[in-house]
Amino acid sequence: MSTEIVFDNVSKFYGDVLGVNRVDLHIPPGITSLVGPNGSGKTTLMNLMTGLVHPNSGVIQVRGISPFAPEKLMKIMGYATQYDAGPRGATGFEFVSTSLLLHGFSKADAERRAWQAIERVGLTAAAKRKVAGYSKGMRQRIRLAQAIAHDPQVLILDEPLNGLDPLVRAETIALFRDYGANGRHVVLSSHVLQEVDVFSDQVILIANGMIVAEGQIKSVRDEIHEHPSQFLLHCKDASRVASLLFAEAHISEIKLAPEGQGLLVLTRNREAFSAALERIALSGIDIDGVIPTDENVDALYEYLIGGGR
Amino acid sequence: MKPGQQIWTIARLELGRVFFSRRSFWVYLLALFPSVIFLGHGLQTRIQARSWSSQQLTSIEAINKIQSGMTDEQVLQLAGKPVNDNTRKRRIRRDEGPDAEKQPEVRRYMMYFDGKRRVDLRFEDGKLVSRNIRDILNFEEDRKVYAGMFQFFYLRLGIFFGCLGIFINLFRGEMLDRSLHFWFLAPVKREVLLLGKYLAGLIAAALIFGTGALLSFLAMVLPQDAGEVQTFWQTIGPEHAFWYVAAAVLGCVGYGSIFLAAGLLLRNPIIPAIVMLLWESINGFLPDIMQKLSVLHYLQSLCPVPVPLPTDMPAVMKLLLAPAAPSSVPLAVLGLLGLTVLVLFAAMQAARRLEINYGTE
Repeated sequence: MSTEIVFDNVSKFYGDVLGVNRVDLHIPPGITSLVGPNGSGKTTLMNLMTGLVHPNSGVIQVRGISPFAPEKLMKIMGYATQYDAGPRGATGFEFVSTSLLLHGFSKADAERRAWQAIERVGLTAAAKRKVAGYSKGMRQRIRLAQAIAHDPQVLILDEPLNGLDPLVRAETIALFRDYGANGRHVVLSSHVLQEVDVFSDQVILIANGMIVAEGQIKSVRDEIHEHPSQFLLHCKDASRVASLLFAEAHISEIKLAPEGQGLLVLTRNREAFSAALERIALSGIDIDGVIPTDENVDALYEYLIGGGR
Repeated sequence: MKPGQQIWTIARLELGRVFFSRRSFWVYLLALFPSVIFLGHGLQTRIQARSWSSQQLTSIEAINKIQSGMTDEQVLQLAGKPVNDNTRKRRIRRDEGPDAEKQPEVRRYMMYFDGKRRVDLRFEDGKLVSRNIRDILNFEEDRKVYAGMFQFFYLRLGIFFGCLGIFINLFRGEMLDRSLHFWFLAPVKREVLLLGKYLAGLIAAALIFGTGALLSFLAMVLPQDAGEVQTFWQTIGPEHAFWYVAAAVLGCVGYGSIFLAAGLLLRNPIIPAIVMLLWESINGFLPDIMQKLSVLHYLQSLCPVPVPLPTDMPAVMKLLLAPAAPSSVPLAVLGLLGLTVLVLFAAMQAARRLEINYGTE
């Protein structure tokens, strides 16, 4: 049986609107990031490989299984979608355990696995609260818990780092690494390359429904490092955070974000920046969120691909 | 996990949502409405009878002796004080025409009660001109009223719209809530998912409307004369109760499958509701073979008491309201189940093709 995820000349249209066009992909096990601007076709690719949408033409196989056979595919796959809603009125624990019951686990097994998965994403304390009352970051994590609870071979994650605070982000990335290191697939999407380049084995760049580039991220990482990245920091004590960050050599610029949203920080080294944020957070200063704002991915593609040509 | 177990797991998970959904709260009102009406009717009659009995109970013999042409005083002497006694004097108005003089000056209305029957008497200028005797509870008549209510309200509207509310939400409601993907990401065939959801809807609808049918039937029967009720239960009562409940449950089976399929195929539930309602209404006009494609046709064939239609009703209305050529009971049950299987098969094909595309909902 194939261990790859294969797209063979796959096209998908929503009426007259292009989703993806003539996609040929062979995704090996490991961490693969789909990177592209909003509306580029990342979610369509993910929905195609999970069977939530069907291709107009072409063939998809996930480790030798067709997405038209959900009874087989979903046994080896977990998908954390970008859709917020789950069963109405469900608590976090019910959301995960219900999904496990559908997988055929006994009630006791489903509950044990649900608690394990919830603990793994650090949501134990909030597990008995209703999902509808969760923050954006908590919803991300409970969806991740649901996706990993049955220990799948293929983990598909749509924008999994959106809305996570630095500490949780680091833990979540560690989880991806753990999964990807064991011969499993971790396929995730992001609209910001710098967000995922640190931990991805392979990156697929997509724009306007077409694959722009794909390959090992390691070969381009050093090149990207030279490209400064901008982040928006949500924090209450902006001036204190700014003064601590200014002491870091890799920071090129710090500005107050418009409408008092926090700080806009320009860094030349994302790993060093990430470490600095962890130190600040551990020192007791609240950082509510870190959002990459360098959304001009087209420009980045130009930089990446143009430089490679 | 075997498909049967999966169907049951899905149904179990869905049941709570179907039973306690705010969206389908009105379904309970539809199901319980006839029970409330018949219970209210029974209670009101009982309370009234008790009140009249405590005032004045007149013997059957005395009531039978009252004849047309007797004066009010003679009636009072014969039957004693009535339960109700109202006198109205005519007011002469200036604009009254030449017939005004023919009108009686005084009208008197008396009502007697013998414990079961009420006698309404009308006197004009002291003479008895009208005598109307009727049972305050007429079991035979109430059973016909119940049959009419069951066929014209409960089957045509109550179960119809109740199933619309329950079954159309099983898929369409989840699309609107953007939560259908949760089910599609389970290791379950779409056909199995559809059957699980259908089973959940069916259990809920059958319990709600089956109970509603039984409750309203009991609410119609129980206030009747104890002797008549006992005889009824010892003869045809259980059979009638069974077929009313069976018709309600089979109504949920048939309408449920249609609205489940409609929820998969169409975005707007109003359209299938109107189309179905029209189809069911014009069924009487259609050729025999077409009539077999109607849920209502089979359900009406199962009802134990035919609805008497007024003889002066226009022919068009009769065609609309009466089952044209009732099928035999086995044919009705098999026909309905066959129709349901066909519709569910079509729904399964639609479920296999269904995509998650909330943006277009």
